[in-house]
Amino acid sequence: MSTIETRSRVDATNLLMGIWGVLVFVFLFLPIAIILVYSFNNGRALLEWDGFGFGGYQAMLDNVTIHRSIVTSLQAAVGSALIATLLGMFAAIALVRRPGRWTLGFLAILFLVMVTPEIVDGISLLIWYVWLGGPFEAGLLRLWIGHSLFSTAVVTLIVRARLSGLDESLEEAAGDLYATPWKRFTEITLPLAMPAVLAGLLLSFSLSLDNTIISNFVSVAGTTPWPAYVFGSIRNILRPDIASTSTVLLLVTLAALAAVGYVLRRSGDSAENVAKTLTGV
Amino acid sequence: MAAARAEGVAGAKRWHLPRFALAAPAWVWFIAFFAIPVLWIVFYAIWGFKPDPFTRIAIGDPTLQNFRDALTSTFFKTFKGTLQISLLGTALCFLIGFPFAYWLAIKVSAKRRSILLALVIVPFWTNFLIRTIGWRILLQPEGPLASFLGSIGLLDGPLRILDTRAAVQLGVVYNYLPLMIFPLFVALDRLDPALREASKDLGAGGWTTFRQVTLPLAMPGVVAGLLLVFIPLTGDFITAAILGGAKGNMVGNMVFGRFLIAQNWAQGSAMAILLIAMIVGTLAVFAAIGLGIRTAIRRGRDVDLSVGVP
Repeated sequence: MSTIETRSRVDATNLLMGIWGVLVFVFLFLPIAIILVYSFNNGRALLEWDGFGFGGYQAMLDNVTIHRSIVTSLQAAVGSALIATLLGMFAAIALVRRPGRWTLGFLAILFLVMVTPEIVDGISLLIWYVWLGGPFEAGLLRLWIGHSLFSTAVVTLIVRARLSGLDESLEEAAGDLYATPWKRFTEITLPLAMPAVLAGLLLSFSLSLDNTIISNFVSVAGTTPWPAYVFGSIRNILRPDIASTSTVLLLVTLAALAAVGYVLRRSGDSAENVAKTLTGV
Repeated sequence: MAAARAEGVAGAKRWHLPRFALAAPAWVWFIAFFAIPVLWIVFYAIWGFKPDPFTRIAIGDPTLQNFRDALTSTFFKTFKGTLQISLLGTALCFLIGFPFAYWLAIKVSAKRRSILLALVIVPFWTNFLIRTIGWRILLQPEGPLASFLGSIGLLDGPLRILDTRAAVQLGVVYNYLPLMIFPLFVALDRLDPALREASKDLGAGGWTTFRQVTLPLAMPGVVAGLLLVFIPLTGDFITAAILGGAKGNMVGNMVFGRFLIAQNWAQGSAMAILLIAMIVGTLAVFAAIGLGIRTAIRRGRDVDLSVGVP
């Protein structure tokens, strides 16, 4: 009797949690769904529905400023992801393989970089770039540096987590077999760290594409990335082409994610590990 | 062999770089573009002033005048509002995110979990700003949500939430919820189911197991989630700029305005320091409360469960 009672209470809890899970998913997807729908808004203003049509998509194709902002976003993302991945990967290798008294100081600065609100990074970089002048007046360099800070810390932690799970014996064995340090790095350490390096690269790329706050402060007229362009237009008027462009970008991102997931699956990762790699957790 | 190896090590020693050499580029990067620029804010806040409407910044004698000028009654009002939004927002993210992460990590079957996990990523990969604009469309007085609520009889007339603090509250909970879900999911997913089973075998009910076993072990994830949400949320100005109108301003919006609209860098720097102080101060208060509670709980237990738990 009592087991049946417990049983039904457990079932009730499970049911409630299932309902909660579905509700959270609805909440998470609601504004994305509305953007998809309103990308077909034929009116002049995004916020006022004025019939179904492809006006937004047509405007998107005609709008040179949008094209330029997306190119800038991609350039910023590629550059900052490469910087972050290189700096973070080497820092992680040093943290795991060459720990010492310096480790604590380095981890402290990583922690500070990660917990500093982006608005502080944004204003501090703005005043610093203006003070330095010269090459730091160039829009792309400003974005590369600004977007790479947080990502470098993230890559360092991801690669460090991966390497610290593997002991050094393979590298030592290669050393015993007279492999040069460079060979040891390219043939042993790098392949071992690769899943984490790729995850870090992907995550840095997406963080840069998404970055709005730092971009808003440091970007220069002419090299405005896509989110900064959108933020600039909310002060004037939002047009449907913004929703149309976002829809296209979302589909491209999902296709790219699916492709990366497929490659990781093929290389033998479990589905859950693939999902975790893509989230960076 | 051993001799060859020893020789190899000695040979390597001769030209060995310092241990931190591989991390040196990252060090330089962080010092040059993080540490010095942040200190520059302090420099401008104390030594800087705005000499005339056309100059952004000039350097003079050290003074606290910028802080005095920043601490207006509007600032205090916005400060209070921001703290309220960020504390309530963090709490709501936790209350919504914890049952969800628990369900995803423990209740859902392994096969469905990877699909659902991939689904949670989608909003994360959609631009923050665009999602917030999605809410602006939804929340319009005569918009989609208003007509839905009207059709099920929950609302009579237009929806009056846009351009208020409530809209900002909703927006930040939405925007930062994934940052709460991920660390909670990881922490709960790592727990060995055997621990829960053992607790049940020893006679503990579901709630006791949750309170005594699951929750304490998931604590690192909880702390990570709270930090990941609270800090960026407090510094946010994008959500408030899109959903809050004039009534929903946050401290971040004031800093943004001082820098990019009023072009007063000295006062903007002082305000940014006040924002940092607000975040650090709040965290310190809650860390003290958290440590106090932990000590009290540990004292009340016969056995220290934390031994051997990282």
